[in-house]
Amino acid sequence: MLLRCPISFTPPLGKPTPAQQRHAATAVSAASVFSISDESLSSRGFTFHRTIENLNLDSLNTVFAAVGFPRRDVEKIRVALEHTDAVLWVEYDKTRKPVAFARATGDGVFNAIIWDVVVDPSFQGIGLGKAVMERLISELVEKGISNIALYSEPRVLGFYRPLGFVADPDGIRGMVYSRKSKKI
Amino acid sequence: MSITIYFAGTRNQKISRLKVRFWESIRAGILKNNTAQVIEPPSAAEEEDILPEEFVMVERTQPDGTVEQIIFSSGGNVDVYDLQDLCDKVGWPRRPLSKLAAALRNSYMVATLHSVSKSAGEEGNEQKKLIGMARATSDHAFNATIWDVLVDPSYQGQGLGKALIEKLVKSLLQRDIGNISLFADSQVVEFYRNLGFVPDPEGIKGMFWHPKY
Repeated sequence: MLLRCPISFTPPLGKPTPAQQRHAATAVSAASVFSISDESLSSRGFTFHRTIENLNLDSLNTVFAAVGFPRRDVEKIRVALEHTDAVLWVEYDKTRKPVAFARATGDGVFNAIIWDVVVDPSFQGIGLGKAVMERLISELVEKGISNIALYSEPRVLGFYRPLGFVADPDGIRGMVYSRKSKKI
Repeated sequence: MSITIYFAGTRNQKISRLKVRFWESIRAGILKNNTAQVIEPPSAAEEEDILPEEFVMVERTQPDGTVEQIIFSSGGNVDVYDLQDLCDKVGWPRRPLSKLAAALRNSYMVATLHSVSKSAGEEGNEQKKLIGMARATSDHAFNATIWDVLVDPSYQGQGLGKALIEKLVKSLLQRDIGNISLFADSQVVEFYRNLGFVPDPEGIKGMFWHPKY
């Protein structure tokens, strides 16, 4: 009985109900209109990338460290990126370095989780984080992925909410395994 | 009485066999017929021991002599039609078979429970059915997320779901995946808490994009 309810959420098949059609329409339109256009960003010296080609992992690691992530082994980062479904990063043309980044893992059809959303502190506040997120979400929606989730630190819930994210919908809780808390 | 555990590969390819005795469980087993015993691989408490890809989790003998084994496997050997039948049994909405197959292929680890029944005296006459599954997606380095945990309703309430998740988590930890996460419906938060999962650690919240709720 405990396991009756699914953990993953996928839309039921068959003819969509009017409510589902409205939902789908909202989702698609929300995904395809970007707050800041590509042209606007490129005119300010920023370039979007959708692959890890030309991404300097040491520079990326430096951005991670700058926002307070624990320092991770570059080779492990490479493995993680090679097994990531979608990547979106912004290059600052003047320095050729990454200044914003986000990636999503998943099963490619039903579920995706967004990880490692970062903006270099020197470039925060100008909309790069939002720009990266909107494009990443759009890419996932275009692939047909209907369940897009992430884990948010409490202080950035306000960043994700305007992008369309809801915390604990219907009482669903994000949980993480902790060796220390294991009772068995 | 000894318990046989098969290591690696399929049940038909016995690469090595380890006979183990569990005195407490044997004593209890000898006292009663038809006892379902949960068989733990030796030194299950030590995380350093490699968990075999496939092993017998439970073995029980019915009064008519039929022997039923519940077999755990992390090898991802799932027939997508069997999976769809199982999803139907637990009442999940139907998903296209091709997408189910793709989701399994794209998962980092797929753990299953199969029931194999052998009638007494009938050699080679085995009935095998899928009775549980859980899968995890991962970036192969840092994070894994568990999805689609299900156990056949007629096999629920026996601790099989718990064992399934424990073994899946252990397999992931052995592959050095440090962050194992999942999203739990409110009714199953306690179930996962008892397995070592913590909700909202350090206030970190699960969020969904335009959820249908």
